[in-house]
Amino acid sequence: MRYRDQQLRDALAAEYALGTLQGRARRRFERSLKDDPGLRELVAQWQRRLSPLDALAEPAQPPTRVWRAIRERIQRGSRRQGVWANLSFWRAAALGSAAVALALAAVLAMLAPARHAPETMVAVMSGADASPAMTVSWPMHQKGKPKLRIRVLGHPEMAAGTAWELWVLPGGDQKPISLGLVGTEPSQEITIPQKLVPMIDGAWGLAMSVEPSGGSPTGLPTGPVLYKGQCTKL
Amino acid sequence: MADTDALAELMARCALRDQRAFAQLYRQTSAKLYGVAIRILRRDDWAEEVLQESFVNIWNHIIDYSAARSAPMTWMTAIVRNRCLDWLRRPNLERGDEDYDLLVEAMPDDSASLDVALGNSRDALALAECLKQLSGNQRQTIMLAYAHGLSHGELAEHLKQPLGTVKTWIRRGLESLRGCIDLQGRTRADR
Repeated sequence: MRYRDQQLRDALAAEYALGTLQGRARRRFERSLKDDPGLRELVAQWQRRLSPLDALAEPAQPPTRVWRAIRERIQRGSRRQGVWANLSFWRAAALGSAAVALALAAVLAMLAPARHAPETMVAVMSGADASPAMTVSWPMHQKGKPKLRIRVLGHPEMAAGTAWELWVLPGGDQKPISLGLVGTEPSQEITIPQKLVPMIDGAWGLAMSVEPSGGSPTGLPTGPVLYKGQCTKL
Repeated sequence: MADTDALAELMARCALRDQRAFAQLYRQTSAKLYGVAIRILRRDDWAEEVLQESFVNIWNHIIDYSAARSAPMTWMTAIVRNRCLDWLRRPNLERGDEDYDLLVEAMPDDSASLDVALGNSRDALALAECLKQLSGNQRQTIMLAYAHGLSHGELAEHLKQPLGTVKTWIRRGLESLRGCIDLQGRTRADR
């Protein structure tokens, strides 16, 4: 069901944010939200308009068992993710979606010149919609000036005054480490410090965040993470 | 309450699966969010369940969060509120028969106290100002609906008014609010 009439769209977004849109109408509205960014924006505007009313709720300390249960669940989730993330990637590849095929083509093109390298690491990174948006690959155990090859798929836009910063995610509790800034060109190469080689060869994954131009002022990601993906050894 | 930028940075780190950042996010926001859940559900055990579900949800969907669209606290509160509403609409839920009249009375309704109650951020001042311009009935139904997650039917029952009347108060009240808040935003931007 599409809500075309602008006034109706805003009225429904308002009652949804207020909480009075209920039952079947609420569920139907939530289904529409999934593929209607304009409608999501209307809801976000209403949430913002009404959010000062949250100040009327008295804060209360939840019992510690709540956090223990949450921590248990997210840790269990990430252990499972370790096994399934790769599987689902290859299952998606088998389905042959155009975007995945493109990503694989990029990976294969990159593999040819690296024929003599013993092993190659690749991270296929995707955004919120889970379709591959960027691939980063490098031969393992690099000496001299270690390089990363980057393929940007699709036509993403970089807003004025912002920069894209690439991060290596070492895994576990360790914080992300910056690999430098990247551009929007379809094919790029960046050089990284030699001391990061063991880090990237053993990385759990990579991520790219939007930062102020010049890069993150804090040395850690500060902006939204556009793309991320796990590393796979080929 | 942590400031918006600090929370946004924590969210970015959580999107990179930094569990320590998530623990910090929880420490800084859980009391506020638990308060929101208790106010809607009015039972501690339900609020605990919903808070747990909400934070697992926040962790799983944090990559969808966009700082450009909403402040971290607004985004997280929306998740908690939606979970509460889902909880209340479960079939066969035995909702205790609390005294809604007390809740109705507890709403700050004299317009003067609104400023104080909502705080003095720009958004809060705009909302307080615009709520004052609504009729008393419109203001009361909107604030009750938001604070306690009451449906049109529940509002009609506890305010002892016909359903159609309550729906009209809310619809017209929201229309006026939008016009007024947007106007305030523009006036401020022009200064």
